[in-house]
Amino acid sequence: MSDIVISARGVQKSYGSNHVLQGLDCDVGRGITGLLGPNGAGKSTFMGLVLGLRPRQGGELNVLGVDPEQSGPELRAKLGYAPEHHDLPGDVQAADLVRHIAQLHGLPRRAATERASDALWQVGLGEERFRPVGTMSTGQRQRVKMAQALAHDPDLLLLDEPTDGLDPVQRDDMLALIRRVGREFGIDILLSSHLLEEVERVCDSVVILANGAVGHSGALDGLGSAATGLKVELDSDPQPLAAALAAQGAEAVIDGHIITVTGHDAAADLIRDLVADLGLGLRRLEPRRTTLEDVFIEASR
Amino acid sequence: MTEARIHDRGYLAYDGPRHGPGRAMVVLGYHTVQRVLGLKRSNWQKVMPAIALLVAFVPAIVFIGLAALLPASSDLDLGDPAGYYVPISFVLFLFTSFVTPEALCTDRSSGMLGLYLASPLNRDTYLASKFVAVIAVLGIMTIGPTLLMLIAFTLDGSGPDGALDWLIEFGRVLGAGLAMAAFWGSLALAVSSLSPRRTLASVAIFVSLLVSAAVGDGLSQGAELGDSFALLNMIALPIETVYRIYGEVNPDGPPIRHVETLPILFTFLGLIVVFGWFARWRYQRIEVTG
Repeated sequence: MSDIVISARGVQKSYGSNHVLQGLDCDVGRGITGLLGPNGAGKSTFMGLVLGLRPRQGGELNVLGVDPEQSGPELRAKLGYAPEHHDLPGDVQAADLVRHIAQLHGLPRRAATERASDALWQVGLGEERFRPVGTMSTGQRQRVKMAQALAHDPDLLLLDEPTDGLDPVQRDDMLALIRRVGREFGIDILLSSHLLEEVERVCDSVVILANGAVGHSGALDGLGSAATGLKVELDSDPQPLAAALAAQGAEAVIDGHIITVTGHDAAADLIRDLVADLGLGLRRLEPRRTTLEDVFIEASR
Repeated sequence: MTEARIHDRGYLAYDGPRHGPGRAMVVLGYHTVQRVLGLKRSNWQKVMPAIALLVAFVPAIVFIGLAALLPASSDLDLGDPAGYYVPISFVLFLFTSFVTPEALCTDRSSGMLGLYLASPLNRDTYLASKFVAVIAVLGIMTIGPTLLMLIAFTLDGSGPDGALDWLIEFGRVLGAGLAMAAFWGSLALAVSSLSPRRTLASVAIFVSLLVSAAVGDGLSQGAELGDSFALLNMIALPIETVYRIYGEVNPDGPPIRHVETLPILFTFLGLIVVFGWFARWRYQRIEVTG
């Protein structure tokens, strides 16, 4: 299998005069990829295009080696999709629902029945599989959605806000499950979310959408290794030091007791000298690492 | 000796056979038939379909019973076959209004539509499966009783004479039943496509049928604007169409009985196409992600 699961080049999608995607370029590799973006950035629209549910106005899109617009049914047989909403038919047993979806994806009835049961065990609902979905909690419904997306053994799993509506404990469990599906089951995952922290916790790489295009894409590994400036924490008002740094040509941004210093080649020496000169108490001086939040904010501008 | 037990088989990849989109249509159609008939659902959901089937079949069973019990020499009038569709239409009217919206509306309100369209189905194959499923359920009521009567009367020796007549009668039973099921089914899907709320769809179907009957008969008979306006009566139109398939005219029917056969058939088929086109148009515009 190719290392590229999804490849988009100049993808455009509009709804009337609303240009949701304006020339989107990205490559989604194997493993778990986070699809980040503020509300209205086009995450759900991109998911819809990947599933082949919508025609695009321009560009090229390749998912698992085929164009979703041309080969939608064949492609969707290899995809698993867990939607964002929590609605599921309340009077249907979880096992029946998962089996039904597995059958729709081409599995014979007996295989679908067995795999539905297995999938529900894998997501932690083995004992609850014969309960009507309507009697289940939000966390259990999220797991049912995961099970129905997994039961037919997809090559690529599309998860749309899988932790939405979950309490902290349920959220941790769900993230652990997603990590397990990606690592142990060997299924590639595209995880749509607007929560940076959970993407950082489970994803290998990230695609950040902003204003209808890709603001940033790449592996998460490399994010923390590049130092960009210094962080200074004082035990008193940071204003005098910030002013002194600015007078020496450095960029100093105050956030509470912390000053972020960039734009000076010898910032560490400069800070040491200024702190001594001003008689300030220095609590912490460390390299400033680029976080996903930094990248997200930068990409969203 | 220690006992070894497997606690977790882990995740197993599936490398068995896989069916294509055609099979997905069959799976969805079968599932829809079950839902509409209330199978695998609460007893309350089974009440309306059960009553409808009972009302549709009871007259046929009574006819068959009378034919079997009474001597062949008695002057039992088995009635004209087309006339049987008049009481069936009443059942279809209620069934279409209050049960068939289950076929479409629930998928939207429960979010299942998104899961269906993320499967090998697309919007067209999804709707086609639903249409066939609804026709199959309605067909139980429109074809079942008349086919049962045809078989019973044939076995009793009071059916059509000769193989050719029998085949013609059989063709009429199938044709009339399918035509009626297709009309009511397409109407139900078109109106149901307007809303994910089942109750709203039920009321809309019920009211639109009553209004069409009032407007059609009112314009043609009350306002005396001409018999053609009677074609607007969507309750009488399928009944009259069935009569024409049997080569007859509804003797006691509303003003539509005065209209020629060709306009009736043209309007009947045209409405099925329009209803189907409208449902498709609606479903092309429904967003299912996000």
